[in-house]
Amino acid sequence: MAGMMQEAPMIKITNLEKFYRTEEVETIALNKLSIEIATGEFVAIMGPSGCGKSTLLNILGMLDDPDAGSYVFNDIEVAHFTERKRADLRKHNIGFVFQSFNLIDELTVFENVELPLIYTGVASAERVKRVEEVLDKMQIMHRRNHYPQQLSGGQQQRVAIARAVVNKPKLILADEPTGNLDSSNGNDVMELLTDLNEQGTTIIMVTHSEHDARYSHRIIRLLDGQSVMENIMV
Amino acid sequence: MFRNHLKTAWRNLINKKFYSAINIIGLTIGLAVGILILLWVQDELSFDRFNSKVSQIYKVNASIGSGVSKQVWGGVPAPVAVYALKEVPGIVNAVRVITSYDYSVFKYNDKILKEDYGKLSYVDDSFFKVFDYKLLKGNINIPFPNDQSVIITESTAKRYFGDANPIGKTITGDSKDPFVVSGVLADFPANSSISGNMLFSINQKKKQYNGKGYWKAMDEDWGNYYTSTFLQVRNDASTRAIGDKLTKIHFEHQKGIKPTDGIFQLQPLKDIHLYNPDGSSAGVQIVKVFSIVAILILLIACINYINLSTARAMLRSKEVSVRKIIGAERKHLFMQFIIETLLCFAVALLLAFGLIYAVMPFYNGIAGKQMQFNLFDVKVWQVIALTVITTLIASSIYPALLLSSFKPINALKGKISGTGNATFRKVLVVCQFAFSIGLIVGTIIINRQLNYIQQKQLGYDRSYVFSLQLHGMQDHYEAIKADLLNHPEITGVTTGDGNIVSSGSTTSDTDWDGKDPNMSFLIHPYGVDKDFINMFKIKFTSGNNFTGSKSDTAHWILNETAVRLAGIKNPVGKRFKFHDTNGIIIGVVKDFHFASLKQAIEPAIFNFRPTTWQMFIKTTGKDSPMAIKTVEKLWKQYNATYPFEYKFLDDDYNELYHSEQNTASLFDVFAGIAIFISCLGLFGLATYTAQVKIKEIGIRKVLGASVANITAMLSKDFLVLVFIAILIASPIAWYAMNKWLQNYVYRTELSWWTLAIAGLAAVLIAFITISFQAIKAAIANPVKSLKNE
Ligand SMILES: Nc1ncnc2c1ncn2[C@@H]1O[C@H](COP(=O)(O)OP(=O)(O)OP(=O)(O)O)[C@@H](O)[C@H]1O
Ligand SMILES: [Mg+2]
Repeated sequence: MAGMMQEAPMIKITNLEKFYRTEEVETIALNKLSIEIATGEFVAIMGPSGCGKSTLLNILGMLDDPDAGSYVFNDIEVAHFTERKRADLRKHNIGFVFQSFNLIDELTVFENVELPLIYTGVASAERVKRVEEVLDKMQIMHRRNHYPQQLSGGQQQRVAIARAVVNKPKLILADEPTGNLDSSNGNDVMELLTDLNEQGTTIIMVTHSEHDARYSHRIIRLLDGQSVMENIMV
Repeated sequence: MFRNHLKTAWRNLINKKFYSAINIIGLTIGLAVGILILLWVQDELSFDRFNSKVSQIYKVNASIGSGVSKQVWGGVPAPVAVYALKEVPGIVNAVRVITSYDYSVFKYNDKILKEDYGKLSYVDDSFFKVFDYKLLKGNINIPFPNDQSVIITESTAKRYFGDANPIGKTITGDSKDPFVVSGVLADFPANSSISGNMLFSINQKKKQYNGKGYWKAMDEDWGNYYTSTFLQVRNDASTRAIGDKLTKIHFEHQKGIKPTDGIFQLQPLKDIHLYNPDGSSAGVQIVKVFSIVAILILLIACINYINLSTARAMLRSKEVSVRKIIGAERKHLFMQFIIETLLCFAVALLLAFGLIYAVMPFYNGIAGKQMQFNLFDVKVWQVIALTVITTLIASSIYPALLLSSFKPINALKGKISGTGNATFRKVLVVCQFAFSIGLIVGTIIINRQLNYIQQKQLGYDRSYVFSLQLHGMQDHYEAIKADLLNHPEITGVTTGDGNIVSSGSTTSDTDWDGKDPNMSFLIHPYGVDKDFINMFKIKFTSGNNFTGSKSDTAHWILNETAVRLAGIKNPVGKRFKFHDTNGIIIGVVKDFHFASLKQAIEPAIFNFRPTTWQMFIKTTGKDSPMAIKTVEKLWKQYNATYPFEYKFLDDDYNELYHSEQNTASLFDVFAGIAIFISCLGLFGLATYTAQVKIKEIGIRKVLGASVANITAMLSKDFLVLVFIAILIASPIAWYAMNKWLQNYVYRTELSWWTLAIAGLAAVLIAFITISFQAIKAAIANPVKSLKNE
């Protein structure tokens, strides 16, 4: 699929800038960064600590807004969107997977996965069907009534992925999804992401692991908030 | 969505047991107390409003005298009602209610029952039409078929006749006058200003005028102010015009009356419970104070909730962010937190109901009421709704707004700095403690004033004196007195027609040389025997006591105030006319307090009466039971038909301040509760702080900080807040209490140490509360807390 850019890219950022100001220091987290990502791609973002990977991912995920530059998502300019509009676009299009899982402790596995459907107003019967479907696919159906604390890290991350995909997002953003997992669990997670990608979901993943990066089609390397190199995987 | 919110809310409640408990305990007590106080307020405001014509009914009051001696009385002459109906436009109906002191026991068959003072009244037939008091049996058009008819209340009927039909039965008053029951009245509601056990026809009272006295008939007697007169007026009538017209009629019928006397004013029925006839009101003031206290306590409870939930918001920021990232909109989160608050309130409210049911009997005891907490009563729900909805709104909106406004990305990174809303929390804690300190100051001062009243030198000695009615003993008074004085346990016996603790009557019928004809001079008369003044240890400033000789009937003894206001120089030996008797002043006594300390001392006059209807007996502390037995034995000899009854003057005295005592006890309780709830909140916050700073504490300990260092570090911030609260609360409390003390002509001093004590108490209580958590955190093993991170 790589390189097939006959249609408009899903994501197109141009000269994106992001600063952090604290009392005296101003950190330039993203420095006139321009990137394009096509629908259906699996992209890995790598780079040393502090180079702006998470910052980029948060802006792509519309959790944060850039200070300058343009961000076109599916032909819509979103750089200046209000929080409300971004949230709306986000909840129908984007799923997130975090290094620290970020499951809600008070909710069971089933309820955690169900939550995005509740917020998008899916009817109850439909919700049950779809949650069970994903849990099945992630092979954690037998844990549906457990609470996050009762699960292993690998299981928790699978629940988090289930929650990220249950709404059938077009894009999944993963920030070091294997960072807290051992290699065997990490590989399982990578397999899951690859499966999702093969079924058509675009994936952007931040990682420190060259091993994990090899699951992707393309690696974007960042240094000091700038893209320095792109490797196309073959 | 709602079910999901509820589920999360419930799990939050269950999982965070400590905070939930603090929130729920605080809210439960706050709501329970708030509802209880508001029930009390509602009860006070509900008096007499059950009458469907309440807005048309007015009581006629009479203003007498001018300037300092001006008084407004609740009683007016009997003809007022008659002439109002006959000559005043706008009057629909009129009712007179005259308390009867003519009987004290009634007999039915072998049963003799006592009827308390003030429970018997003479009323006009219109009573049952103007007011809504319900005749269960009897004819509303002819309530009293003849002058010997009596209408009794349901519970009175039960006492005399059990379940038998009372109609037509005869009861005998004081074993001489038979009355036939012609009706049964539903018991007077507890919130009725008019109450009693038996109602007699006003014709009975009329009969007491036999045509021979100065006033030939009751309806022509303009000189005695003793009937409670209620007028039902047309909606469009001017009450002022009615009052003026009545005053004019009065002047036409009683020639020579002073222009300042006998001026009539109309007071709405709905006001008579809370306002005195002169418009002053202790009642309204207490209602206001208690409403404020209720609001303060509810606010304190709300503040606890707000503080704890916003403080803990930091701990929940991750959850909020995750929800936002996976699609929650602000309104979803807002609803979620509102529902959490709702749930907390629902639990607290249920517990509060239980608490209210449990304490209602005690509460009624202290409040001196018979309030009902009936969940099927609409009025109770009005109070509940008012309390709950306002507190709910106050405590839910801000935390919900705050929590739902987190920026998800910052929150996930743990970058929600508490500083912004920590300031807000601090302000709230200061408010809370300012309220509490205000209540402590109030409590101390109210109690000090009551103490002052108890210990005040009143100018007479009422200790170990009890009084009783003589009835049949009056004719044998001298012999009985001699007999009693032979008993060693009885140290004094005297008789007098008034109570030294609180004088019931005044007269303006006096004259002396040099009296200004336009001056209104009201004086409290005491008809006493020769031992009265000495037994009560009232001191003479000049002249002498009565000797008991015949000539004493034209001798008067005045108090200093009477002499001063009358303007008589060297009074002893001067002429003074009292009622119809021209006599001379033989002595002047030092002023003594024969009324509540709220009033300045007024003029008083002693005249000589060898016997009256009432006897005072002085005994000693340890001999009083024996003295009572001795008197009872004599009583049985002369008053076989009357149950033996006596009353210590100390009790009379305490009754003067009954409402103050009630208020004070309630205030004590409320202040205690306010402080308790405030401390609960502080405890929660201190726990939270210790929890948040657990890592910092661990590091400091590893670096060598002592337990004292750490306790100080954790307590300091809170104590500063309490100090600020003291600074804010002190002047306000001082001002408010000063105002309250103005009610008393004789009052305790407001001293700075009252504030100091209140402040110190607050600091101490707060410190104990905080240090409990602080010390716990300080002595915890640092290795453990550091490893947890
Ligand atoms: N909220 C913030 N305030 C100030 N500076 C910030 C903030 N967030 C990030 N930065 C700075 O911006 C730069 C980029 O941070 P970012 O979190 O994107 O790095 P990263 O590439 O994800 O690093 P890592 O691999 O360690 O996760 C860093 O220098 C960081 O210090
Ligand atoms: Mg990062």
